[in-house]
Amino acid sequence: MISVQHLCKEFKVFRHRRGAWGAVRNLITREARVVRAVNDLSFEIARGELVGYLGPNGAGKSTTIKMLTGILVPTSGELHVNGHVPWRERKTYVGRVGAVFGQRNTLWWDLPVVESFDLLRHIYKISEARYRENLDTFRALLALDEFLHTPVRSLSLGQLMRANLAAALLHDPDVLFLDEPTIGLDVVAKERIRQFIQQINRERGTTVILTTHDLSDVEKLCERVLMIDRGKLLFDHKLDELLRRFGGERELLVDFAEDYAEVSVECARVVARDGLRVTYRFARDDISASALIARLSERYRIADLSVREPEIEATVRRIYEERLLEQTSNREDAKHAKTIK
Amino acid sequence: METLRLYVELIAVRMRSQMQYRTAFVVDTIGAALAIFIEFVTLALVLTRFGSIGGWTLGEVAFLYGLTESAFGTMDMIFSGFDPATFGAHIQRGTFDQFLLRPLGLPLQIFTSEFVSRRIGRIFNGVLIFAFALANTSIVWTLPKLLYLPIVYVSTVLFFGGLFVVGATICFWTVESIEVINIFTYGGTTMMSYPMHIYNEWMRRFFLFIVPSGLLIYYPALFFLDKPDPLGMPLFALFLAPVAGVGTLFAAFALWWYGVRHYTSTGT
Amino acid sequence: MYLALARLAFQRQLTYRAATLAGLATNAFFGLLRAYVLIALFGARENVAGYSVRDAITYTGLTQALIAYIAVWGWWDLIRSIRTGDVASDLARPIDFFGYWAAQDAGRASAQMLLRGLPLLILYALFYNITLPPTAWHWLALIASLACALFISFGWRFLYSLSAFWVQDAIGIGRAATMLTTFLSGFLMPVAFMPDWMIALMRLTPFPAMINTPIEIYLGHVREPDLLFALAEQLWWVVALVVVSRLVLAVGVRKLVIQGG
Repeated sequence: MISVQHLCKEFKVFRHRRGAWGAVRNLITREARVVRAVNDLSFEIARGELVGYLGPNGAGKSTTIKMLTGILVPTSGELHVNGHVPWRERKTYVGRVGAVFGQRNTLWWDLPVVESFDLLRHIYKISEARYRENLDTFRALLALDEFLHTPVRSLSLGQLMRANLAAALLHDPDVLFLDEPTIGLDVVAKERIRQFIQQINRERGTTVILTTHDLSDVEKLCERVLMIDRGKLLFDHKLDELLRRFGGERELLVDFAEDYAEVSVECARVVARDGLRVTYRFARDDISASALIARLSERYRIADLSVREPEIEATVRRIYEERLLEQTSNREDAKHAKTIK
Repeated sequence: METLRLYVELIAVRMRSQMQYRTAFVVDTIGAALAIFIEFVTLALVLTRFGSIGGWTLGEVAFLYGLTESAFGTMDMIFSGFDPATFGAHIQRGTFDQFLLRPLGLPLQIFTSEFVSRRIGRIFNGVLIFAFALANTSIVWTLPKLLYLPIVYVSTVLFFGGLFVVGATICFWTVESIEVINIFTYGGTTMMSYPMHIYNEWMRRFFLFIVPSGLLIYYPALFFLDKPDPLGMPLFALFLAPVAGVGTLFAAFALWWYGVRHYTSTGT
Repeated sequence: MYLALARLAFQRQLTYRAATLAGLATNAFFGLLRAYVLIALFGARENVAGYSVRDAITYTGLTQALIAYIAVWGWWDLIRSIRTGDVASDLARPIDFFGYWAAQDAGRASAQMLLRGLPLLILYALFYNITLPPTAWHWLALIASLACALFISFGWRFLYSLSAFWVQDAIGIGRAATMLTTFLSGFLMPVAFMPDWMIALMRLTPFPAMINTPIEIYLGHVREPDLLFALAEQLWWVVALVVVSRLVLAVGVRKLVIQGG
């Protein structure tokens, strides 16, 4: 459905000189350097997938999304969505696509929500019947009735996002682009929106691309994750794979049968001790969980134990900060990091 | 046809949302009208002492004044979306992208993004001053003149509209351009409200051949008022208003589409 | 204390340098237009109501230079402050509210005179043969007059801004007040060019004292013995507006305190 091949986007960044004299010099000559916001990106997304698109700030996420939605023209490479080239056929393409940007509004400020929907019905040429159907469905799923007749400017953030989400789907788009849809919302609101997205994806087969910094979104919604940094696609796999490979440190909670004075063990460090319960932290590369358990059982008597997997939050942070994926892709075959579906 | 229907509907939406603030609407409408009215009244008062300006009477100047103001007010209302100040805000805040995401033509969306109905005050004011002009000048109305008047009016609306579109287009490159365009729009209306021959050589040349303001109100006025041309232009210059108006708007939109291409290649 | 406030406002204005060049061009253009209108009005005449053509041209430069200084096109800071409720915290401070705002306005005006006013006059001096105040006394009187003009203008702006305590659409009132100012201050045309009855009417208001008086002093139309009289007249308006403003402020504050925001 979405086919991206060797996509590149370069920006010319002009050096903006400060001060009055600088302003004059700015007019005469301009120093520019070329920045590759998106660098040789390639991936395929099949119809009906719900994909997470992650990356630190400035990685090139929004640039990619802008190209996918047809707002931005790529420098080079091929980009097809459902057979269309987004930026070339803007008006026809955009009618089959939905987009929601976190904390941004696409509806008409002074109008009641339902009137905005009605306008969209005309703009997207939705049939009366289909419009009614969708509206009723969304009203139920997103509890729209509580603010359906309220002007958009009076909505809370949570209500605004729900309204925008419904608006984006009224015309039955094939693809839905979500850019930080849950940012700034409380837990309940986030959950409601997540469920809605999941339902739409499952029941209608709408392909969803979700850009987010909220990793719980990813955890709960996405099976497949694409990670981009400095314009390069560094990871294109299932989420489990990401955690498995870069999970960093794991924890082992041990309830000892006796109160031991010394509970140290090689390859793991004690991070907490509370009576008989000791928490060990160990790195995946250093030792496996089973090996550690074996080692401990040799020395001590254990009553109970459990292994705690790393949180996705910490994992991803680690990946960003330590540029782990770049090291990987430099070390391993380039193929391995990009192609496997 | 569908486009027209959508246009009307979207404009109606704008007006409805403005009507919500009824008192502010009335106050603003009156206010907008008064500002121009005050300038004209000042001129009228001063002319009691001087008699005429550049050989033109108050009634004749009112002809220029009224026509310019009503045309500009109309343009200001219709082209509100292209007002460089408003449009620049869209570019700066990134909300222009929203227009790109809808399956509608860009100009249609920009036209309907704003519709400042209170500008009607300025139009009304212009009409009043024009009526004063008609009452205080002895124009000999012929069929050609009657036909040409609405043409001049529309051409001037298009001309000013073109200036607005240019101002908006510049925002694709730099958001700080706005003040310069004001010289041509707001400065332009002031300039065009007085007979052109009072200005100096280079101003006249500039505003006839480069930015053809003079062809839109002054020269047609010479035709309406049956006045001789003190600047020695060819006869057909009196009838170039539609060319100047349409031409400016056409060139403006050509620049606009270039600007859109630039914007979609470089983002914000 | 007030000096510190003024200085802060002054510095803040200096940071808004971006608009300067284009703004200057706009001022210059409008000045140019007005100059030509006046030249055309004069026609063959050399002197009208004490104005020579040279005086008239200088007048157009002076009025343009005063726009930012006197805030001819309106001043919305106080209205905004009242509307958002920030005014409450200002009133809670142990400082005279009126003086607080006056000091800030002085700072703002001085910066704008420096950034927009003077450069425009210099531009004018380069391209036109403008006049200068004739004697040292006139220079001194000009400075005093400009200070008075600012305070009269401030008093007026403060007064109409106070309407925000009572009215929802204070900005609408502000715009009307601004129009009154442009109409009656001699900003559009020299007061001397108006019909006599109009001049008499205008002089009943504080507006000519904001713009016309300093200009007439600059142009030397006020003879030396009359300088003090002109300044005294301005001072009278300063006092009148300050007194009325403070009264209205007191009433407004009482309303605010009793009824809440």
